[in-house]
Amino acid sequence: MHQTDLSAVRQTISAARGLPNAHYTDPQVYDEERAALLMSGWSGLAVVADVAEPGDAVPLTFLDMPLLLIRDRAGQVRVFHNICRHRGMILVDAPRKIEGAIRCPYHSWCYSTEGRLVSTPHVGGPGQNVHEAIDKDLLGLIEVRSHVWNGVIFVNLSGTAEPFEVTHRELLDRWAEFDVPMYHGGADSRIRLDLKSNWKLIIENYCESYHLPWVHPGLNSYSRLEDHYHIENPGKFSGQGTYVYRQITDEDGSVFPDFPGLSEKWDAAGEYLTFLPNVMVGVQRDHMFAIILDPVSVDRTIETAHLFYATPQTSDTLRAKNTDQWNAVFVEDIMAVEGMQRGRQSPGFDGGRFSPAMDGPTHLFHDWVAEQMALHRAADKAAE
Amino acid sequence: MTDLDARLLAAHDSGDIRALVALYREAAEAANTETARAFFLTHAHVFALEINHPDTAALRAGLIAMGRETAL
Repeated sequence: MHQTDLSAVRQTISAARGLPNAHYTDPQVYDEERAALLMSGWSGLAVVADVAEPGDAVPLTFLDMPLLLIRDRAGQVRVFHNICRHRGMILVDAPRKIEGAIRCPYHSWCYSTEGRLVSTPHVGGPGQNVHEAIDKDLLGLIEVRSHVWNGVIFVNLSGTAEPFEVTHRELLDRWAEFDVPMYHGGADSRIRLDLKSNWKLIIENYCESYHLPWVHPGLNSYSRLEDHYHIENPGKFSGQGTYVYRQITDEDGSVFPDFPGLSEKWDAAGEYLTFLPNVMVGVQRDHMFAIILDPVSVDRTIETAHLFYATPQTSDTLRAKNTDQWNAVFVEDIMAVEGMQRGRQSPGFDGGRFSPAMDGPTHLFHDWVAEQMALHRAADKAAE
Repeated sequence: MTDLDARLLAAHDSGDIRALVALYREAAEAANTETARAFFLTHAHVFALEINHPDTAALRAGLIAMGRETAL
């Protein structure tokens, strides 16, 4: 397979060019990125609110793989490959409550919600449910490594990543004050967008403030370009922050309760970073949002935003207002990400040049992509 | 088709798993060979497992006693 040349991406920002078009348009490069970027690390998959009660099960397709998100009988959230160990049949094809065991609809092999194989009917012939060749202890559901942070479920599909806390140590340290109970706002606190865009363009747009006055002119009244700062941690994360976060207010002047124990910095600060590869998170004194990107194909991404609060109960009207406000911002970004996607069909585009003053976070993201691709290619070569 | 067959098909059609547990148990009791009895008890047990039926353990114990199943 032809490999893209990423040497220009790895130059200093003044000389660098962005990722080549193929990283946004070529299905083969998408497949390479799938292994190098999306399966090798901790990718966001869903939120624990999707499986609120024991037995709740939700089938998901992520990176073309059938997965099953479930809360087991003991209350632990787990992710399995959604397939029977017998014939590879899909086990659960619609969200539902598992009352007892997960029964395969094909030959009725049954699994506990913890993934244990508990019954193999007729496996030794009619009415004989054991066979010496079938060791139930070795044929449980295939579990995917998962980790929950602030209500967001991350998975490591390769099984080879460092623990989540190690992979994201610097980011978790930066936001240690937000390591507090988070409560999903519920059905009215989700925003789903189906975008004709490669997933990376959405992150690139998210991590820089350069576009704000042009794409989000409504912010100019209180959150000007100069009120923002870059956040740059090479090889780990990059994004932006604001010094002038303003709490949303209800008609009676009430606001959301703050997260407990925050330092003064957060009185008016907000920060917007990505848990690479695919979870864009924003933290403010009174709410957090997490946007999970599902890279459906090279040129299509489903973006689902979830809003979290400091208390289980919050004002319905205030919550709706907050969802509406963020939805308006996210919708304004569609023009940008879909426009850049269309632009990458131009053979005249060479990756583009960065503003050394304004595009630092974007360049760092491209550099991270290039570094991960290089590591993946080196590992592939070593395995040959 | 016997009345039991008809009731079984109706329960399958409507997805009434609780009824399937009872009906396959009834079929097991009416079976005239051990193999047939084990076959129907297996179905009763599987559907009981699926809905966490209170008789699941008893059904499994019956199959274990017949040498047809292992303990959990």
